[in-house]
Amino acid sequence: MNRKIKTKMLLFILTAIIATPLFICAQEDSVVKELVLNVNYHMNNNKVIYLLTNAKTKVKGKFKPAEAVPVNLFLDGDSAGNLISRVITDKEGNAKAFLPAALKIKWESSSTHTFTAVSEKTKDFEPANAEIAVTKSRITIDTLTDGETKKITVSVTAFNGTNWLPVKDVEMKIGIGRLSGSILTAGEEETYTTDSSGTATAELNKTNLPGDAKGNFVLTAKVDENEQIGNLLIEKTVPWGAVLKQDSGFFNQRTLWTTRFKTPYWLLFMAYSIITGVWGTIIYLIMQIIKIKKLGKAAGAEEKI
Amino acid sequence: MEKLTSLTSEQITQDLLPQKFGKRGIIWTGALILLCLIGAVAYIRQLKNGLVVTNMRDYVSWGIYISNFVFFVAISLVGSLITAIFRLSNVKWATPLTRIAEIIAVAAIVFASLIIIVDMGRPERMLNLFIYGRIQSPIMWDVIVIATYFCISILLLYMPLLPDLKILIKFKEKSTHALNKLYRFQGSFWKGTAEQIKISERAIRILCIAIIPVAFSIHTVTSWLFATTYRPGWDSTNFGAYFISGAFLVGAGGVVVAMYIFRKYYHLENYITEMHFERMGRIVVMLSLLYLYFNINEYMTPAFKMKKAEESHLSELFTGGYAIMFWFAIITGLIIPIIMLLFKKGRKPLPMFIIGIMIVVGAWFKRYLIVTPTLLHPFLPIQDVPANYHHYFPSWEEWAIAVGSLAGALLVITFFARIYPIIPIQETLTEKNEQED
Repeated sequence: MNRKIKTKMLLFILTAIIATPLFICAQEDSVVKELVLNVNYHMNNNKVIYLLTNAKTKVKGKFKPAEAVPVNLFLDGDSAGNLISRVITDKEGNAKAFLPAALKIKWESSSTHTFTAVSEKTKDFEPANAEIAVTKSRITIDTLTDGETKKITVSVTAFNGTNWLPVKDVEMKIGIGRLSGSILTAGEEETYTTDSSGTATAELNKTNLPGDAKGNFVLTAKVDENEQIGNLLIEKTVPWGAVLKQDSGFFNQRTLWTTRFKTPYWLLFMAYSIITGVWGTIIYLIMQIIKIKKLGKAAGAEEKI
Repeated sequence: MEKLTSLTSEQITQDLLPQKFGKRGIIWTGALILLCLIGAVAYIRQLKNGLVVTNMRDYVSWGIYISNFVFFVAISLVGSLITAIFRLSNVKWATPLTRIAEIIAVAAIVFASLIIIVDMGRPERMLNLFIYGRIQSPIMWDVIVIATYFCISILLLYMPLLPDLKILIKFKEKSTHALNKLYRFQGSFWKGTAEQIKISERAIRILCIAIIPVAFSIHTVTSWLFATTYRPGWDSTNFGAYFISGAFLVGAGGVVVAMYIFRKYYHLENYITEMHFERMGRIVVMLSLLYLYFNINEYMTPAFKMKKAEESHLSELFTGGYAIMFWFAIITGLIIPIIMLLFKKGRKPLPMFIIGIMIVVGAWFKRYLIVTPTLLHPFLPIQDVPANYHHYFPSWEEWAIAVGSLAGALLVITFFARIYPIIPIQETLTEKNEQED
């Protein structure tokens, strides 16, 4: 009896020891994480308006992107009629949504708007929301060439309901857009700030910048994450670059490393001369064998006679 | 030479006619066929599963297949050495060796071509060379010269065989019905008329002249497959002459081995005499010294400079992972043969046979050392790859195919010796008559 009780107790303790870490692990796996949601407003060239949503979560003290999170984006209130789009975040935790034509009237009805992002509950993440308030704005870019001097003037205006008023103290980058998306600053400073008239001016001090085949490059002014007006981008193509000469001649040369249709003449001459000479000799020798054969047949015929 | 005058023409003919395989011949042929079959099975596995069955990977993309290729190309030079150069120099004593040399050359060049196709993986890619070939490429040059050398070697084997085919047809009771048909198909038109002999001799002379530059080209171009790259161990202006000198040596070594075997097993002591071994011994020692000179050039010059890129490669050869193989190839394949051959006793048949084997084996390892170690020392460090990419040891499939190709070449030589006289009968009879005159 004592032995039975002892065995049962031992089994119970053993089960408890094995089950406890499994239970803890299961608990850890089933914990739904907290989501951190951001939404940003972007407008490019005063025409294209879109929202960029970013979702991330904290894992062991570090932020990691949250993938496959459904997010609903709304304009001025999270009702169904104000839905901009339902997006799913990618593996970087980002999602993009353009302002639909259906909300155009609503967009134009007011000078300020609130964008709301609401994420749905998933098995991995708790729901979260984010909001951003934006004042309708415009950004324009103008250029002035005075001999050697090239000036770039960028103006930012915001709509107050009736008029477009200049916006002061807006920090921006002004320069030449690179293919990677970054901006090569036009002058000495990294950023420029609008004055009381809502303009910022930069002087292009970089010379001999390469342009395209016509000598054009793209001037870009970019406002990043302004609290009032969001992210703005404006571009203008100017003929201020050096004409890019396509050196197609290089690959048209006859060299040892090009395609087979561009073999150097000297190699063609050498190779085919040698091949012709040697194989000509081989063909001659084969003909000699044929000649020997014919002589043999003739001699054989004579013997028979 | 003197022995020929003591023999009658009938006796010479009987001695030199092809002989049926004895028990040893059948066992030898059976073993070679078995090795070829194992190689064929391994090749079928490779065709089915791809080159992944080998241990060649991203870095070592040339392994023992290419080593074998270079070895075969090297050994094929013997055809031009013995047959062409000796014929043109009117070296009469070499007459018994010409056919042996030529068949070694043909067998080697056939298997050089086959092993390259094996190394390609998918054999139909061979067509790409002709559809998309670039004349600028050393690989294209190699294909052209190998094909050319093969054709010339076949002609140089066939044309001197014509008078012997007439003898074989005459002694039809000595061969089977099938072989007689073959002889008649190949040479029944040869009557030995004055005009036929004149055309034949002129043609052979032209062949002998033509084959020398082609043979030099084949080895130079093969060396350029390596030397036209920047890789340490390959980037050398010495490679053309280095390969040719090595090829002469291994070819001569191969002929010496074949001389001994045919002499012993076909009882050809009256035709392949100790004088032949003595003279071939002197030629082999001269070629060994020449090859040693090129080896010193090849290794000492970069070792003196020890450029950064070359340092790890040379250290690996001299004192590292490949040191045993390297010194084995040098000592066994060069130093010991040179020492032995400097003495008259070393130029006797049996020592020559042993030296010939040492030279051939040393040469195979030497080709492996030329091909593979360089690939394990690229300019950029080997990183972020599985551990097995850092080393190379051939898989069983590679060994089977490589050994199968060697067995195949030996099988070609064996069958040739069974079908045709291994020593030219008519030329021997002609020389006998000239001596008596």
